[in-house]
Amino acid sequence: MGVLGPVPLVVLVPLVLLAAALFLQKFRSWLTSMRTAIWLLVAMAAISMIGALVGQRLPLEAYTERYGDAFGLFLFRSGLTNVFRTWYFAQLGALVVVSTVMCTFRRIVRLVRRPGRRLSATGSLLTHLSIAVIAAAGLVTALAGFKYPAPRYLEAGDMIEVPEGGFSIRVDAARTEFTEDGSLSEYLTDVTVFENGVEVLKRRIEVNHPLNHRGIGVYQYEMLPSSRSIRRAFIGVVVPVPEGAPLHRDITAAPGETVEIEGTDLSLKVLEFLADFTYDIETGTAGLASIRHDNPAVLVELLEAGELVVERWFFMGRHAGHRDDSDLPCRIFFLDYIPDFDNGLTRFEYARQPGTPLLFAGLGILSLGLCLTLWTKRPQGVA
Amino acid sequence: MGTRPDMIFFWVALWSYLAATVGACIYAGTRTPIVRSIVYVITLAGLTSQTVALGVRWAASGHPPVTGPFDYMLLLSWAAVLAFIVMWRMKGLELLTAFAAPVGVLGMGVASLFPSRIEQQLIPALQSYWLWIHVSLAALAEAAFAVSFVAAVMYMIGDWRGWERLPDKETLDMVTYRAIGVGFPLFTIGALLAGAIWANSAWGAPWSWDPKETSSLIVWLVYAIYLHARFVKGWRGVGAARLAVLGFLVTLFTVLGSRFLGGLHSYGA
Repeated sequence: MGVLGPVPLVVLVPLVLLAAALFLQKFRSWLTSMRTAIWLLVAMAAISMIGALVGQRLPLEAYTERYGDAFGLFLFRSGLTNVFRTWYFAQLGALVVVSTVMCTFRRIVRLVRRPGRRLSATGSLLTHLSIAVIAAAGLVTALAGFKYPAPRYLEAGDMIEVPEGGFSIRVDAARTEFTEDGSLSEYLTDVTVFENGVEVLKRRIEVNHPLNHRGIGVYQYEMLPSSRSIRRAFIGVVVPVPEGAPLHRDITAAPGETVEIEGTDLSLKVLEFLADFTYDIETGTAGLASIRHDNPAVLVELLEAGELVVERWFFMGRHAGHRDDSDLPCRIFFLDYIPDFDNGLTRFEYARQPGTPLLFAGLGILSLGLCLTLWTKRPQGVA
Repeated sequence: MGTRPDMIFFWVALWSYLAATVGACIYAGTRTPIVRSIVYVITLAGLTSQTVALGVRWAASGHPPVTGPFDYMLLLSWAAVLAFIVMWRMKGLELLTAFAAPVGVLGMGVASLFPSRIEQQLIPALQSYWLWIHVSLAALAEAAFAVSFVAAVMYMIGDWRGWERLPDKETLDMVTYRAIGVGFPLFTIGALLAGAIWANSAWGAPWSWDPKETSSLIVWLVYAIYLHARFVKGWRGVGAARLAVLGFLVTLFTVLGSRFLGGLHSYGA
């Protein structure tokens, strides 16, 4: 470079600038051409099709199981399993937006120069403008938004801090409602919102009716029946009869209710319920392995002529009948139960989507633009 | 299917459309005006019966019949047949409108594959007035796309086998374009805008790249390509017809695909 000296630089710089200007002009005309716009839309549709057909954001095992090891791994590594967050989809989106914005400017100029066909031309302009607004909305949400479920289930009395919200929520009640014919009708969670330990409002959160507070949406995400209480238990009792057929009795009992077994001097009372029974050998206590109803058990008190015979856990499902209960005056089977939906376990989802108002505005402008473009008279085949 | 009143009217409608389809085929061969009149009467009888079936289901459930694939296909095919009936007297469209019934047969045939039970109680996620705005507008839009599909298929048949027995190619091209022109804004308002508003209140985000959302976007992109090419370059002919057919096939995938792909929209899958 030293040999070239300052003179060639004087020549080089304008040449580089000229080349850059020519390239930009070419790039601009490429970007604003109809052919480019169509190919960009085709590419976007093709990638979206992959996104629709290939399940998105699943663990690697899900893909290898479904598509085999090699193809599953290829899908996972190529980003096709999270295709809407890949660099190439983002760049494609950016190209669509830049192309649309440039077309919009061209249309504004045309609209000013040719005042005829103002309604449909305005519609076309709005349609193109809306794409930029929708893209801006997506960008705002991508940069400052979030959406994820709460880490745990809550029951009445539980308190949880809302992340990045500056407030906390106490669950006052969580229940599932049903119609008379047993159809599910609603999930309801009554909450109290606290800021710095001070109660600020009371609200009910339902599906389709989230709590919106300080820019954060708190949504009803999941609901489970209570893992520690039930409405009723259905219990089968078989009482041996000397030199006769055993007595079979099916009884139903609410927790705490003493039920007499007809034809005998036996009675029983359901004391406790655990949805997923586990036993801690060290402490000698029964507890919950999880809140799911995977291993339901009831603690039953059996009485004979009013005297306590035994207090024992009985299991439903796969653990039923695995124990020797020959010391009891009857055999007891925990058959079924009505879950307690009035004291449920609720789980929230938190969302902050700051681009949403802009997105609605963009979609509104798009809809208006399309109606004006397509539903007002317009000569065919003219931009 | 039982003997519920809605199903009696459903089957009456379906058999009427089947009879009208046979009539339409005879009309395509003979071009006898009386045959077309008979096809019209039978199609209208089918449409009336289908309307009653929808009404009975609405009355019995207490909400618009727009939930579940059975109701949706019933509504979609009803709207498509209605669109053809509206166009019945238009000059040059005699053969096209005679083929309203096959669309009804197709839609109701697909509907009959799904459970027809009437759900009086909607699940919590569906308890929103956005349900019927979102679904009914999307169904109307897709009915318009169905009209464009039939016109585009006829165009392709004409291009393949000659135009002697078919409507004028410019007419078919214009019907394809006009139907997409009606359906596209409706689809944008109903499927995308109303859907985004509802999704935001139900799921915490207006857009989640759920398979149904994504395939709706593909539908939108395909028709956007069609309209863009037509507006900017005046593109028409068999290429445009093929794209219109592709658009409707993707629409069908969107309507039924979520049942196989899962996602947020697969309530009753």
